[in-house]
Amino acid sequence: MAEGSSAGQVLPGYGAVKPAFDIGVTIAAWIYYTLGYLLFFAPLYVAAALFASDRQEAFQRLNHRFYRIFFRLLLKITPGLSLEVPADIRAIRSAVVVSNHISYLDPVLLISLFPKHSTIVKGALFNIPFFGRMLKMSGYIPSSAEKNPDLVIRGMENLPRFFGTGGTLFIFPEGTRSRSREIRPFNKGAFKIAKRQNVPIQILFIRNTDRLYRPDRFWFDTCVENRITVERIGELLPETGASVSEQMARVRRQMERAGGNNHQNHCSNNSYGVL
Amino acid sequence: MALSRESIIHDLNRIFAENFEIEDPDPDENLSQAYEFDSIDAIELLVEIEKILGFKLTQEEKKQAVEIRTINQICDYMEGLAEDRA
Repeated sequence: MAEGSSAGQVLPGYGAVKPAFDIGVTIAAWIYYTLGYLLFFAPLYVAAALFASDRQEAFQRLNHRFYRIFFRLLLKITPGLSLEVPADIRAIRSAVVVSNHISYLDPVLLISLFPKHSTIVKGALFNIPFFGRMLKMSGYIPSSAEKNPDLVIRGMENLPRFFGTGGTLFIFPEGTRSRSREIRPFNKGAFKIAKRQNVPIQILFIRNTDRLYRPDRFWFDTCVENRITVERIGELLPETGASVSEQMARVRRQMERAGGNNHQNHCSNNSYGVL
Repeated sequence: MALSRESIIHDLNRIFAENFEIEDPDPDENLSQAYEFDSIDAIELLVEIEKILGFKLTQEEKKQAVEIRTINQICDYMEGLAEDRA
């Protein structure tokens, strides 16, 4: 059974400065997120809104660049942090990507991997001033049609063109973060879309984002050996003709197996402490 | 365009079985609660409704469908559309 994240062993020589690094890295990340956006990216978004022939794709590419730089910054300034993403994952196109969900960093990480992407977002977030507007302009789809029927209808109707031009739709079928790392019950949405649009499902497994940004903590957890990985653990091709329920069961099995491996890997690595 | 209630229900039962893996839904059952019928399914259903009715729905007409919960309400919705365009 998978277990929740826990604090790792502090890197040698960093014991006294770890609190300062935790605070410093967190503040740097927030400065980038706010001032970096306003100073460097806001003008680009305005230009995209005014002049781009495909505004949604232009926003998606800007989001991708913004978060790619965000992760590069984190990797640069966070002692002990590394990121491993095989090239074949970055090359995924015209597919529904499903992944486990353990941290707020997961959607950010996936946006940083796929230039032309979309996702399904909780409907309430579309009503947040400015942030909701950014979600709309990026072509992301609300999870419920009740408050935003236009966006859902338009989003779903755009999907054939989106997939036909290489778009990647990533969805966390659990719907929300799992704090225990156990795979929560799935929503059917991702699987229905893949079946209807006749596109493959690529199954990813994210590890250790919850050790960098822990669910119970405001500050980033730095100065510990932490390798964030994204692994492709399987794919379901549309030709198999499996039902939505069968697809869900297969993906769940693969994620649970990967979660079990995850647990074993960490247990055998004594530098990780008590994971 | 005249559509009988029976033919609509017959078509809907076929669509629900083929497209949504839902067999013979109760006409008054809440589709969302009973079968996890969601927004994605609703959009797909609208495409099928357009095929049955033989015309494209406007955005406003599609938005009205968001409130629909049961097979009987779908029938009412389709009959209303057919009457409006007759």
